Amino acid sequence: MPVQAPFELEKLSNKEYILNMGPQHPSTHGVLRVVLKLEGELVKDVFPDVGYIHSGVEKLCENRTYPAIVPYLDRLDYLGAVNLEWAYVLAVEKLCGIQVPERAEYIRVILAELNRVMSHLLWYSAFGMDVGALTPIFYAFREREEIIALVEAATGGRLTHNALRIGGFRNDLPKDFLPGLSRFLSSFEKKVDEYEALLIDNVILTARTRGVGVLDPELAVNYGVTGPSLRGSGPAWDLRRTAPYSVYGKFDFRVPVSEGRDTWSRLKVRMDEMRESAKILRQAAAALPAGEVSAKVPRVLKPAPGEAYARVESPRGEFGAWVVSDGTERPYRVKFRSPSFSNLSVLREIAVGCNIADIIAIMGSLDLVIPEIDR
Amino acid sequence: MNTSEILGDMNRVPGASGSVGPDSVLDVLAPAKEVPGILAALKKSGFGHLSFVTAKDLPSENLIELVYRLFSYVSRTDASVRTRLDRANPSAPSVSGIFRTAEWHERETAEMFGVEFSGHPCPGKLLLPDGVEAPLRKDFKHEEMTPLPAV
Amino acid sequence: MTLPLKELLYAPAAPLAAFAAKAHALWAARGLPSSVLDLLFQLAIAAAVSGFITVNALFIIWFDRKIAALMQLRKGPNRVGPFGLLQTLADTLKLLSKEDLNPRGIDPLAFWLAPLLVFIPAFAVFLVIPFGDGLIAGDLNIGILYILAISGLSVIGILSAGWGSNNKYSLIGGLRSAAQMVSYEVPMMLAILPVVMLTGSMRMGAIVDAQAGYGWFAFMQPVAFVIFLIAGNAEVNRAPFDLPEAESELVAGFNTEYSAMKFSLFFLAEYTNLFLTSAIAVSLFLGGWEGPFLPPVVWFLLKTYFVITLLCWARWTFPRIRVDQLMQFSWKYLLPIALANLLLSAAAMKLL
Repeated sequence: MPVQAPFELEKLSNKEYILNMGPQHPSTHGVLRVVLKLEGELVKDVFPDVGYIHSGVEKLCENRTYPAIVPYLDRLDYLGAVNLEWAYVLAVEKLCGIQVPERAEYIRVILAELNRVMSHLLWYSAFGMDVGALTPIFYAFREREEIIALVEAATGGRLTHNALRIGGFRNDLPKDFLPGLSRFLSSFEKKVDEYEALLIDNVILTARTRGVGVLDPELAVNYGVTGPSLRGSGPAWDLRRTAPYSVYGKFDFRVPVSEGRDTWSRLKVRMDEMRESAKILRQAAAALPAGEVSAKVPRVLKPAPGEAYARVESPRGEFGAWVVSDGTERPYRVKFRSPSFSNLSVLREIAVGCNIADIIAIMGSLDLVIPEIDR
Repeated sequence: MNTSEILGDMNRVPGASGSVGPDSVLDVLAPAKEVPGILAALKKSGFGHLSFVTAKDLPSENLIELVYRLFSYVSRTDASVRTRLDRANPSAPSVSGIFRTAEWHERETAEMFGVEFSGHPCPGKLLLPDGVEAPLRKDFKHEEMTPLPAV
Repeated sequence: MTLPLKELLYAPAAPLAAFAAKAHALWAARGLPSSVLDLLFQLAIAAAVSGFITVNALFIIWFDRKIAALMQLRKGPNRVGPFGLLQTLADTLKLLSKEDLNPRGIDPLAFWLAPLLVFIPAFAVFLVIPFGDGLIAGDLNIGILYILAISGLSVIGILSAGWGSNNKYSLIGGLRSAAQMVSYEVPMMLAILPVVMLTGSMRMGAIVDAQAGYGWFAFMQPVAFVIFLIAGNAEVNRAPFDLPEAESELVAGFNTEYSAMKFSLFFLAEYTNLFLTSAIAVSLFLGGWEGPFLPPVVWFLLKTYFVITLLCWARWTFPRIRVDQLMQFSWKYLLPIALANLLLSAAAMKLL
């Protein structure tokens, strides 16, 4: 199982040693193994070893009908589940030429942005715990619990929603969804300010994260980094703005960027994203049109032969689903392009030369979810 | 450079043929050894983001088709570069010198389809354990894995 | 013999001395050597102090967990015993019943001695803590020096734990802790020096007496008070200085390989050290057991628990500080400030 690290034991100088932040570690956010070559506390080399929870989902999907694949997408990134389902569903709708009614598009936006807020709140909690602040998780999870209750009423699942269907939704939103949403939004932005002041603006944290893990924008683009990890280095690339899918073109929101390039900028970008998501949610809830929530989709879906790729802005970056159809009811090939896969590959470039403690902070700021790396 | 100029450049590459699909995706089919040059040219004309590198197994035509998907944040369009490799001995030059993204994507494609990428800086398995070879090929068999009934 | 309860509570020195004298008289009347009686008295005092340490540890762990819970919007232990007070007892019993794992490749001497080397200094410092008027187990002339010297010994314990565990994580934790404790001893000493200068003596009883009335040293030496609290926090490896046992980085650091009784000794030692830091801060800066109306012992405990609340509050609020920033903070900031404070105090004392 273990892959040969690029640095072998025999070539270590006598001051260096290898430390394994093994697959079981409180801070690697899943089953990730990072092999570190250290000299004292200084990191000389980093080697991420992935694949511990590879489940062959792409091969599995070749044996499933098109609608039955949607729950697999939830499990890939359980924090931004609706966004991932959306990518797949968009790709299939492109293949079939299905036009989704507008109400369904707005509901998709609402659920996706709620997922984004949920994901960032959990990232905030986990990051706090990684750096030793054990209290913010309880505050952030209070907000998260409200959102989960809303989404559970709408979709039936707290974490893995299985909300989207090819063509729209199965059921409309429950009656008390929108009042609940506005109740949540009425106090949310103040809470975000509070959480930012508690952890992100804390003097110990700023001392620990400023100037650490500096990621050059050209390097980031070359490595395929997307999402807040990229926007913390400068390029304002957000698929909701640059390549708007669905009805994102109708909303007025900023794309949070930071020129700081270091870990702290990435943290700040995520906190700002929560605020922008709140803005989008307000606008979407206000502009929600009446109508049907699903297009007419045949019972057994057999798209015409061809291929389609759809990309969405998940909380971690660009998630894409590439679907190849051969005319039957099962896809010929499905490929999921996950943001954490490319975000992790840049770890080696930015983590060399810092302390062990900084590795934790950097990995936390990249916001990795391992199942979508391993698929 | 606009799409027609890029298309013209692509069509000038020996063995390559480009076209623009209905959803304005620039599709280029080229022989394997021309792919790095094509990708470099596309990168220069604005397609700075490589979304993924993967493959498709076509046992009926005895081919493995590699797919490189690019995106231009400038013109907001996609480009798809495809190349066809012989299924018995698939080998292609690595493009990780042009896009560092390709390092990990090519490793994954290599282990999933059995493709060899020449010039790759650190080849080796990425996701799979030992003992599993080319699982995404259509004729993959493993004594411990039995296909379940289709859902 | 009626028990002079009020006197016992408020000024126990006299009744205790009277009791000791009576016991000596009775003892000598039997013809037994008085040194044996002295030894018995000392053993009794040691037993009383041990009893206090144990019960106090049970309480202080519950206290820390309750403060954490209140700050984290939850309730904390509230099932075992009234208000969850017996939770620590239950945890200790559970820990005692666990298997005592000895990993392969450990250095047996280092591994086995480490918990003792960490716990015994914590225990030994209780000799000079003034619990009340005259309630000091042994009022040494070199009280402060004794405290600083003995608490320095726990560094050896942590280093042994880190080395003997045959685990790279433990080793890193142990080395970090050694660096941290050694670095923060110097500002701590420099913060205590003005107090000793103002009192003119290193005896703990004298320091508390010198603060009688409203002359608490916290008002006269606020900078020294703050530095002592920070350095004391770092000495006992409490957050935000808990790198040696940084759970998210080092998976419990030097504690990683310990289980059952040895782990509970480390755990107990940490909380005992917390109490000690607070108790010393109270004695040196907050007037010790001085206070109107209530018995001195009660005042001492109230003040100590007030400081403990402050330290617990800091633990659950702040993230962890990084090791090189920790050293920077100690050597580049705390040390010059403490030195400047010392010089200014000395100058002020000379001029005023």
